[in-house]
Amino acid sequence: MDPIEPVVRQRAAALPGPIRGVLVIGLLYLFLIGVKLLEGGIKGLGSDFTDALFQGVSNPVAGLFVGVLATVLVQSSSVTTATIVGLVGTGVVSVEHAVPMIMGANIGTTVTNTIVSLAHMRHSDEFRRAFTAATMHDFFNLMAVAVLLPLEVFTKVLSDTARSITEAIAGDIGGGRFNSPIKGAVKWGANLVEGLFDWISNEKVTAVIFLILGIALIFLTLTFITKNMRVLVAARIERSLNAALARSGLVGIVVGMLVTVAVQSSSITTSILIPLVASGILAVRNAYPITLGANIGTTVTALIAALGIGEIDGLTIAVTHTIFNTAGILLIYPWSKIRYIPVDLADKLAGLALKRKSLALGYTLTMFVAIPLIGILVLR
Amino acid sequence: MVFDFFRGGGQSTIEEVEETLVVMMHNARHVYDEAMGAVFGGGKSKETKKDLKKTDKEINVAQQEVRRALVMHASVSPAVDLADTLAYMSVVKDVERVGDYSKNLYDLAKYGADFTTAADFDDLDSYRERVGQLMTDAANVFASRDAEAAQYLIDKADGFLDDYDANVKAAFQSVGPAPDAVARALYFRFLKRITAHVMNLMTALVVPVHRLDYYDEAKEDRVES
Repeated sequence: MDPIEPVVRQRAAALPGPIRGVLVIGLLYLFLIGVKLLEGGIKGLGSDFTDALFQGVSNPVAGLFVGVLATVLVQSSSVTTATIVGLVGTGVVSVEHAVPMIMGANIGTTVTNTIVSLAHMRHSDEFRRAFTAATMHDFFNLMAVAVLLPLEVFTKVLSDTARSITEAIAGDIGGGRFNSPIKGAVKWGANLVEGLFDWISNEKVTAVIFLILGIALIFLTLTFITKNMRVLVAARIERSLNAALARSGLVGIVVGMLVTVAVQSSSITTSILIPLVASGILAVRNAYPITLGANIGTTVTALIAALGIGEIDGLTIAVTHTIFNTAGILLIYPWSKIRYIPVDLADKLAGLALKRKSLALGYTLTMFVAIPLIGILVLR
Repeated sequence: MVFDFFRGGGQSTIEEVEETLVVMMHNARHVYDEAMGAVFGGGKSKETKKDLKKTDKEINVAQQEVRRALVMHASVSPAVDLADTLAYMSVVKDVERVGDYSKNLYDLAKYGADFTTAADFDDLDSYRERVGQLMTDAANVFASRDAEAAQYLIDKADGFLDDYDANVKAAFQSVGPAPDAVARALYFRFLKRITAHVMNLMTALVVPVHRLDYYDEAKEDRVES
């Protein structure tokens, strides 16, 4: 008998859950310091500079495109919305001008799962399902924006409702600020970091450093929060997705919301769905409500960022984000005649893309890069 | 439901899959015992046929369940347990085949095979006994994830394979009645396949993914790298 050397596969040594949990709390704290530093940097640059920089976003459509492009570039709507909360908190961008940017971030974030779906291109059936699952999110967000952006521009219904809610919950302690339970701790940490640069005498240089440091911290901490939370709650995600496999409607929406709140990224949630839909384990129509739930779940990041800076306007734009995504679902999902329009449109597009695969790539580049870029250049 | 998200603890997907594989093996052993009971004197019966069909269906459903769970696991945690995910995706087929070949043994009784009057009944029965024991041992070893015991079983089962081939060859060269020769050839062929698939299951505990399934090859053809 031939002796066979056993090669026992070792399971990866995982960081213990409680340690990972503490790590996530630490990262969240650093994330809030990042938002605070960004706010300090923007303020330090002075109103002349920032007015010139953000002049273009006074046009709502341009603001929308800025939101799309910024999110496509950083591949995370959470980073974009947290940054927008910081900008609104400083007063550089008004709530009114930030609303279209937030809506743009919603559209931009769907690029990630669209890219993921392109990986299935070699297998026709898989690709059709995957591309449909990815682009139904695009179509849903476009439909919601098409209705709610004009409504907001002409009536301010979303931002006014958000302001009412914000003031009712947080109150105004004067100067457009509210009593945030974590604001003091965040300020202490931010002051500590800012103190490291006291030796720089030029205020503009310090402001630029804070700005870069702030954005880098927001980006890096959110990346690591997402990675750690994904590991920490993987079993829970699997359990709840299993529960939603054969169900539609509210269960899916809640599952999508919970998973996204847990991993702090709608892109992660929707990207997880793509291989499941592609392999036929999850039906496109059952993935749809999970995707919509992810839209609501992703708004938590901006709410956390707003709590860190303690500005009424910052909190207002974060709440507006939540209201916009909830309103989008209420506007489209409960009504059976229009509920599946995004899915049907996505399926039609996937059918065309199946015949001419370059169309899928063309759609992705046009929708997420060319149109927003040209739009910004023309409308600014 | 949705509240599953808040339920802490519990098994991981990989642990659940391992548990399902063990249940599948026990179900396969049940099919084997029922089928062998028919070949060794029981003959075919409606009840046995119905029971075999039901248990075989349970094995098939479990196989699909395992695959679905593994795809879900790979989608949510692509880099975690990758080797186990791929290995189990492969060996679940082996366990399903163990059930299938066991069911095929019943076909022998269905077509009229009956070893009760065979002159070498004790020999034939000893093969039945040892393969049945191998299946149970494999299920227990897999449940305990005992790599050393798995290696022992692989080596032990490896010793059976040549024996089956010799018996198949003897059946071919037999001058006895054709139905008896065919029944014996198929009997040993099925036992060999069951043994080989059980060995494949055991390899999931001891070899890297790329070497799964290479235990039913001729010794000189095996990939040892």
